[in-house]
This record gives sequence, C-alpha cells and structure tokens, in this order.
Amino acid sequence: MAKIERAQKLFLKALKEKFPGQDVESTKAQYFNWGELSQSPRKKEFLAATEKIAKERGLSMYDPVRCHLGGIPLGQRQLMTYEVSGTGTFVEGDDLHFVNNAAMQQMWDDIRRTVIVNMDLAHQTLQKRLGKEVTPETINEYLHVLNHAMPGAAVVQEHMVETHPALTDDCYVKVFTGDSELADDIEPQFLINVEKLFPKKSAEELSKAVGKSLWQAVHIPTSVSRTCDGGTTSRWSAMQIGMSFIGAYRMCAGEAAVADLSYAAKHAGVIQMANHLPARRARGPNEPGGILFGNFADMIQGDRKYPNDPAKATLEVVGAGAMLFDQIWLGSYMSGGVGFTQYATAAYTDNVLDEYTYYGMDYIKDKYKVDWQNPNPNDKVKPTQEIVNDIATEVNLNGMEMYETYPTVMEDHFGGSQRASVLAAASGISAAVATGHSNAGLNGWYLSMLMHKEGWSRLGFFGYDLQDQCGSANTLSVRPDEGLIGEFRGPNYPNYAMNVGHQGEYAAIAGAAHYSRGDAWTLSPLIKITFADPALKFDFAEPRKEFARGAIREFMPAGERSLIIPAK
Amino acid sequence: MAFKPQYGPGTSKVAENRRKQMNPAMKLETLRDVTDEDVVLILGHRAPGQAYPAAHPPLAEQGEPDCPIRKIVAPTEGAKAGDRVRYIQFADSMQNAPCHPYQRTYTEAYRFRGIDPGTLSGRQIVECRERDLENYAKELITTNLFDPARTGIRGATVHGHSLRLREDGMMFDMLQRCILDDDGVVKYVKNQIGEPLDKKVAVGKPMDQKWLDDNTTIFHVLGGNPFRNDTEYLEYVQRIHSLRTKYGYMPKE
Repeated sequence: MAKIERAQKLFLKALKEKFPGQDVESTKAQYFNWGELSQSPRKKEFLAATEKIAKERGLSMYDPVRCHLGGIPLGQRQLMTYEVSGTGTFVEGDDLHFVNNAAMQQMWDDIRRTVIVNMDLAHQTLQKRLGKEVTPETINEYLHVLNHAMPGAAVVQEHMVETHPALTDDCYVKVFTGDSELADDIEPQFLINVEKLFPKKSAEELSKAVGKSLWQAVHIPTSVSRTCDGGTTSRWSAMQIGMSFIGAYRMCAGEAAVADLSYAAKHAGVIQMANHLPARRARGPNEPGGILFGNFADMIQGDRKYPNDPAKATLEVVGAGAMLFDQIWLGSYMSGGVGFTQYATAAYTDNVLDEYTYYGMDYIKDKYKVDWQNPNPNDKVKPTQEIVNDIATEVNLNGMEMYETYPTVMEDHFGGSQRASVLAAASGISAAVATGHSNAGLNGWYLSMLMHKEGWSRLGFFGYDLQDQCGSANTLSVRPDEGLIGEFRGPNYPNYAMNVGHQGEYAAIAGAAHYSRGDAWTLSPLIKITFADPALKFDFAEPRKEFARGAIREFMPAGERSLIIPAK
Repeated sequence: MAFKPQYGPGTSKVAENRRKQMNPAMKLETLRDVTDEDVVLILGHRAPGQAYPAAHPPLAEQGEPDCPIRKIVAPTEGAKAGDRVRYIQFADSMQNAPCHPYQRTYTEAYRFRGIDPGTLSGRQIVECRERDLENYAKELITTNLFDPARTGIRGATVHGHSLRLREDGMMFDMLQRCILDDDGVVKYVKNQIGEPLDKKVAVGKPMDQKWLDDNTTIFHVLGGNPFRNDTEYLEYVQRIHSLRTKYGYMPKE
C-alpha cells in the first residue's frame, strides 16, 4: 500500500454548500445560534401542517418544542442539507425518509409488484395437450387480452366487478426473448427490446442466455401490492394469466389443462423477485428480506447505462440498496421507527463514498494496471489475500484520513456506523472491481472494518460490530449456513439479517465484481432485462437521481387515489 | 503456558498510550480532584448521603442458592451488598480525547471487576453494582483517561463525538450538561442524564493541546498520529484478518 495523489475531492462542493461561509477544514464551529427548528424550511413546514391538523382532529401531533428532550428542540447545531450523490441536487434529510419521498416508495413498489413468468410451459400445454396452434399472432392476441386483464378486468365471465384503469395505469405485461425472429414478430408495444436497450455485447450475451424461451415481465398494480403484500404478486398475476389464456385461446374454463397453466404461472414458471422468509421473519415471496444480492445488482441498471463506469454503476446499487434494505426493510419492516434513514443516507449523499471509491479506482489502475473504465475480464487481478489486503488497507486508510483532514466530512457522517459502512464499502468495491470477484470484495470489506476499529478504537454500535468483527471468517466459506458466493447471499443470510448499513453495500460488491468484468448480468439475465424496461415508473438506471427527484417533489408515482377520494 | 497479556501491537505513541492505560500494573495518573459527593451528583443515581438502594431483606438473610460460581468468585462490595446495577456513560471526542470507546472497554476489563461494558462509536457505557460504580467512576474522571473538555459524561443524547469542537474548545453537547466557566474550569450543571444540578460540579481545567496530542489513544492525522505510520499495527490487523479468513477462529500459521 502507498498513498497516491488525487487532487479532486468530490465531496468539497457538497461541503461548501452544506456549511456556507465556513472553513471546511476547521476543527471549530459555532453551536446554539442556528435558530433551532427555524433554520429548516422543512421543519417549519411540519410545524405549520401540524397546527392545522391538530385543530382539525382535536388531537395534538408534532410538537418538538415541548416534546423533544423536555423543551430542547432539534437544531442546537446546524441542520445540514444533503446532496444526493452524483446528482447535484441538495435536499433536506427529512426528504430522504421514504414516507416523505414518493420515488423511494415507487422503487420498492416496482420490485414488489413484479414477477417474471415463463411462457414455454404454457405453450407446450396448449400445443401438446390441447392441440392448439401457438403463433406470433396468437401470442400478440394473448398479450392484448392479458394487458386488458392484468389490471383487473374481466375476460370470461358476465357481470363482473372491474378496476378503474386510471387507478391501475402502472400495470402491464411485456415479453422478451433471445429469439430475434420471434421478437421481430411481437408487437413493439409488448416487447422489451434487448437489442435496443443494452450495449451490443451485453445484448448478445443476454439473448444467448435467454435463448428461444419467451418470458413475461409482469407488473401488477402498485395499489394491489401495497394493499396486500409481495406474496400477492404471483397470485394476482397467475389468475389474470390463466383467465387470459382461457379467453385468448378459447379454452374451457373448467378443463383440467387450466390447472397446468395455473401451476406454471404460480409455481413452475414463475421467477419471484425475492424468496419467502422463514417463520421467525415471516414474509412471503417478493418482500425485501428475500432478495438475493446478485439479483438486486441486476435490478439496478447503472451498468447498462454507464457500461464504462463500473464505479458509478456500483454506487447506484449502494444508494438503491441502502434505501431498500436499510430504510425500508431493516428500518421499518424489521425495526420500526425513523432513525435508520439518518444512518443509511450517508452512503448516497454528499459524494463521500463516491470520492473514496474513485480513489480506489485510481489506486487499482495505478498499482495493478486495472483499466477499470474499460471493463473486461482479462486485466483482473488474481484475488490473493495479499492483494485484497493491500487494496482494502490503502482505500480504508485514505478514507480515514479524509474524515480526519476534513472535520466537516466527519461531522457530516456523525455516526460511527455511517463511517464504517462508507469506508468498508469503498474498500470492498475497490477489491471487487480489481479482482472481478465478489467474495474478494467482501473480504476487503471486513479488513476495512477491523482496521477502522483499531485505528479509531470505535466502530458502529453494539450489534453493528458483531457481524463485522467475525465477518472475515465467512467471506470465503461456501458451506451451507456458513457461506455462499456473494451473489447468492441476501438480507436474510446468517449474520446479515440484523444490521443496517451493510446489505446495500454487499449487493453493490456483488455487482461490482461483474460490472468490472463487463458481464451482461450479475446473477439473473431475466431480471436484468425486466428492469431495463423504460415503461417502469421508476428508472432503475438512475436510482439516486430518482430519489433526488422524489425529495424535491418532482417524481410522479403510481398508486393514484385522487379519483376516488374527495377533492381537496 | 500462562497467558501473558500484550495489550496490543504498535510502535507509535498512540499504541504505547493504549498499553499504558490497559496495563493494570501501570498506575493511572491522577490529574484532578473530584469529591465523592460530586461523583454521585454527576451520576444522578442517588442523592449524596442517601443509603444505597439494595436488596431487601439483605442477601445474608435471604439465604442464597447453593451455587458453585458463588463459591469460586469473590463478590465485589456492591455485589455483596446486593446493590442495584447502575451505569456511567462517556462520550469521547474524536479530536484527540485521551480515551475512546473500545480502549475504555479494554481498560476497564483489565482494571475493574464485576463490570458490563457496552461499546459504541460515540459512547461507551459501563454498568456494575452501584457502590462499585462510584469507585470506578471516580477513577475514570480524575485520571488521565479523562479530559474535561473532550470527554463527556452523558447518559442520553450523546451526539457530539465526531463534531467539530465549540469555539471554546468544548465538545458539543446538545444539553450543555457542562460549561467552561469564567475561571477556566469545566463545571457540570446537569447530571449525566440532563437533570439540572443544585450546584455546579467542577471537574477541572481542560488539558492543553500538547498534553492531548501526547496522551491520546486515537490515531488521527491532525493530532500528528497518522495510523498509516504505524506499520507494525497495520500488519498486525492484516495478519489477524488473514488468519481468520483462512482458518476461522482456530488460526494456524
């Protein structure tokens, strides 16, 4: 390890905006004269809103002047704004809580309401068992029927209740295949066009992986998956698929072959976005705790849009993962409360992790000649313990030195777990990009944690430290319950299931190993293609930009209800 | 072969300071005088002079169960009396405070008996029987483990360890439990949980920058102690990590 020069400090712009008129390298600051809550437009908005609400409902609500620490409200120090990393957009911390951010809600909605369903099994049933003809024309007709039915419309019965199209306009089904002839015959409105959406090499690899199979990317209405749960998605989807086959292929509604179609749509041919969880965490499929990290790295599409910047592509996974796994999954599903947001946002605000990661990119290019801006498998470094130690040590030390040299960066990440996540993520991502190996990346993560703890004699909190102080021992293990390759680990992996500030970053490390090799996907070509669809409400190629749009209230989500409620 | 503690690796001043604090054979340096009554006031668990709320009827009358551990381990005074388990919690500024969370825990584990420390990033809590706690707390406050400006005694709302210092050199405390008074002495005006005290409790003058730089146990470039320079320490961490990676918790070489 040896420090390299890097003049550019990506976080400086954010620091100057956050701490206007202050020397960002000073170790001193003013306190107790910031005007408490009044320094924050958002807090003032909260106060004004609650005044009205309390009058209307006759019940007190937000009252920080009385209720926070017996009369000492927030804002004794400066309440900072945050730049959503890589966007140039400054927001208030409150705007990054998912309750206050429609884009964050929609990202999770778009995952939870998605299943991918194979059509080959159904086509075989139709052709071999029922002797029906399946042609591009019949498939197109079926897709017409299915896009009518999937939002909640009748196709077979008389006198049926149906859902309002304007309330379910986010619901649709498209298909994709690796068979270019078949793709050419599918109506463009129904096709996810792999050739057009992906860089040429990726498109070829994806098409080859999918082969002649035909897959449906199904997105049920946001309002349905919200009212029910992720486990509903495959059921809702399968019901509408079954009815559409009956309608499109003129089947008998009661014949036994329908059960085969149903079984294919519900079980044999369905790809859930997340596995169901064991009883002690008790969630059905398509809930966040069951998403494999490799699959999450495929949902996020930064590598498709920025194929020559695996660092950026990886940082987009960090942002999206911190939001989903930390803020929504651990923060609310598992824990409850609002504190996790303050913690998780450190990984995707103010370009701090970005700076540390790009330092790592410069380092691996300088020392190991890894041409990271030209992703390919050929210049990857052999993932030896010595090399992983070297990369992780240098990247971690640089990050610690940045926190020390710029006390405002330290103040920005005022919690130890924030710093631990950021330092370890930069170290792990750098090792993964250099080696193209996700477990080597994880190994770099854990060295960072040990080194951080020794350097500053502190790390995160009680529980946070648990997994990081014992993590080295499981990074290269692949025994059941004790290890897996990184791509197959997930939020419910032993030791990973408890602590905020890890899971998004682990997903990013899994992705980094593949983005740096120029692989077309990380774990699932089907998921990679499905989330490339520009018709999705949330743009999975730009999650941080979408969160910023949500924060400044420019993001339009699905799940509209104003049609069926009184006008305000 | 009997275990011989090494108190950590490293050739740097920081590493040496850490070893000095941990090693119970080395006497901690008393730097200030704080009375027993003042310690009780800062802790806020009981009023000065008040009897210790303890098990009643006394343990001797209750008749304890036939327990082999009780026969092996001699109780501390607090345990013997059946005291409540209470706590003291410190927040340590990353701006070269003399002690830091894990260092505190290791030091206490080597020096004190009957304790239950908890270690976080900005704070460290130690819980034990109340009369033992008061003795330990006094040592933790009056010796070189403590700086009145950069070490805070905070039961809740500990925010401040990573923030810039106030212009008077004090670590930020939202509750302003202690103040740098006109006479240059730091005085607690609230107990550790933030309840106002009837009188100010003096805990001494802040240590000067040179003392802090010389006595700190945190690596920090601005304190003149970059972690990068202690290569022995870094290699030790790498070695531990490598051995755990290869052999789990049964390391071989």
